[in-house]
Amino acid sequence: MSLSWNEFPYIALPAVLCWLSAGLLACRRTQSGRSVYVVDALTIIGIALFAVFIAAFWNALSRPPLRTMGETRLWYSLFMMLAGYITYRRWNYPWLLLLSAIVATAFTAINVLKPEIHSIALMPALQSFLFIPHVIIYIIAYAFFGIATLAACMLLIRRRKGGDHDELFAFTDNLVYIGFGFLALGLLLGAFWAKEAWGHYWSWDPKETLAFITGAAYLIYIHLRHQGRKDNFIIWTLLVAFLLLLLCWFGTALLPGTSLHLYS
Amino acid sequence: MSLSISQAKRTCSMTKKLWQFPWGYPEAALFAAGIILVGFLLQLVVGHFNFGLLHYPANLIALAILAGLIGLGTCFQNSLFSRWIAGIPMAVTLTAALLSFALYMELTPQLSRIPPQYSDLVSRLGFRMVTSSWPFVLLYTLTLIALGITTLKRLLRFSRRDISFLCNHLGLWILLASAGFGAADRVRVVMNVDLGETEWRVFNQDNEALELPIAIELKKFTMEEYPPNLTIVDRQAPPDSQPDGKSSLKFFQIDPKRLKGQIDDWAITIDEYLHTAVRVGGEFIANPMPESTPAAKVTAQNLLTGEVKTGWVSAGGKVPGSFFSDLPLDERLSLVMTQPEPKRYASDITVTHVIQEDVTLFDATLEVNKPISVGNWMIYQYGYDTTLGKLSRWSAMELVYDPWLLPAQIGMYLMAAGALLLAWNGANRRRVSK
Ligand code: HEM
Repeated sequence: MSLSWNEFPYIALPAVLCWLSAGLLACRRTQSGRSVYVVDALTIIGIALFAVFIAAFWNALSRPPLRTMGETRLWYSLFMMLAGYITYRRWNYPWLLLLSAIVATAFTAINVLKPEIHSIALMPALQSFLFIPHVIIYIIAYAFFGIATLAACMLLIRRRKGGDHDELFAFTDNLVYIGFGFLALGLLLGAFWAKEAWGHYWSWDPKETLAFITGAAYLIYIHLRHQGRKDNFIIWTLLVAFLLLLLCWFGTALLPGTSLHLYS
Repeated sequence: MSLSISQAKRTCSMTKKLWQFPWGYPEAALFAAGIILVGFLLQLVVGHFNFGLLHYPANLIALAILAGLIGLGTCFQNSLFSRWIAGIPMAVTLTAALLSFALYMELTPQLSRIPPQYSDLVSRLGFRMVTSSWPFVLLYTLTLIALGITTLKRLLRFSRRDISFLCNHLGLWILLASAGFGAADRVRVVMNVDLGETEWRVFNQDNEALELPIAIELKKFTMEEYPPNLTIVDRQAPPDSQPDGKSSLKFFQIDPKRLKGQIDDWAITIDEYLHTAVRVGGEFIANPMPESTPAAKVTAQNLLTGEVKTGWVSAGGKVPGSFFSDLPLDERLSLVMTQPEPKRYASDITVTHVIQEDVTLFDATLEVNKPISVGNWMIYQYGYDTTLGKLSRWSAMELVYDPWLLPAQIGMYLMAAGALLLAWNGANRRRVSK
């Protein structure tokens, strides 16, 4: 089976409907035992639909669909929901499922409204066994940071009504640590790959610089929290860090300087 | 309990004067600002930091001094000063300072060398080449000292629960140290080899010829290409307003798996595609000769009027004699083919490697992402004559020598282990410092 952006809306629409209704259902006050299963089923159906589309799209392109912005947005919707679902099950925060569904929907909507052209070309520099792990691990990191950002927003909102909300704070830390672990792995794989492809593992290319900036921002959060501080300032550093991350991801094309990393 | 600590801190910072121990954020921020200021002054007086000074063995001596400072800081680890240098406020301040410099680099174009006519203040303060400006170099060094003491302290009272901390910090230290102090020993040169010739000369940035223990003969250059795109152009528009072959919705990728598509109001069907073709009469036939071009027989149907056009389009090759042809759709618009993009290119080479009296010869195929190593050198496929594409008569190869690669890689492996532990453990295993 092979599918392209032309067919994407017919898969995306049911998938995001599943995710949004799962999120809403999970957030309902009164929950019967059965509706918990419905939430699970809807989320998993949505994830499966996306996974099938990606597989068929991959087949159609004869190359990994990880090159263009739209292709990375596709994976992000999938991993955002996966990470959201896992954290919802593990820590039982129903609002998280709804918020990740909304984020995944937003990313999907961009792809539906701004479909990209079909392109099977993959330049030689990208033809490496490191291509897939490098990009996917980054996207997983971004998904965890995305969830951490949602949790940080919730934290700010709840703390306005008073209380420290230590448990939610600790949960946020967890997501940041996990996200940072993946970010560092993605960066290191990138460094190994750059050595293979370009001759040097680090050359302050604009995209590398932005990755450094993102990493440094999250490091500041990690080290500040290590002191046991829990003021609102710290939560804001997390929001700023995510803004820098978005800049890193979508902004490189808008910034001055030419990057070896521009592929689409 | 945590409340009382933060309260105690607050009262402490209220009564404590600046520069009265124990130092914290204000002192760290002022100290970093002072270092940056000194850096700017040095930059104005002596210009960019000269990495050339750090050639072996000078860089080993500099590293030894650095290690001495770190050792000293670790010996007096209970002193308030040492605790401050190796503490969180300093770490956060340094990270924030480096982040700010990186942000500046991101937002303004950076040069790899400063032409002499650049004499404005921005250039003189080093802002056009931040990574070798004094403030940046000093911050980098200070980070190595702070990180070094932090790491060595924990290393000396090793405990299994610190494994993740040690992997991350020790790995980062080794990586930063070998990247920074090894920079001067790294050599990167590009060698252009003509087809059938053997080359041993290379030129560095300053156009000085260097002698290498390596000679390369280019026996063959090959390239595979992707099928090109089709697009619609306006024959009356000026040439530079035409689409450039990159991300615009108006392209149709010729794809053997997907022969139908659409550009604007035209439905496109590929009836036949030949990657290497020459024109004979009004038709194209497959032929791999140098003058060949990609060509496709296309049917285009206007979705509004139902009008159908059929004919050949070809991209035109890179040598005279190859044929470009478009398919006129109406009095203004034409369907045309873009140039194909490379899928894979490779150089078949023979490498001669001389070590003192020993000469070794071997054949290799050099390809993007598949460098070969010769002694301490790595050879990369770097480029080719893009005006000729697959007919290029030469191939450019990059030769890289980096004796500090191994320690840098050890650092990276340690960091990778640390990153895995972070991702695995989350924040559960951390110890919150008091
Ligand atoms: C890849 C980079 C880094 C990572 C992943 C990282 C991560 C961490 C983590 C997870 C901790 C908590 C340790 C624990 O739970 O035991 C920590 C503590 C610390 N880090 Fe880092 N860090 C990094 C870079 C740095 C840098 C560049 C500095 C200094 C310039 C630094 C200085 C410190 C200090 C002083 C502590 C506190 C140590 C203590 O309380 O004994 N770190 N770091």
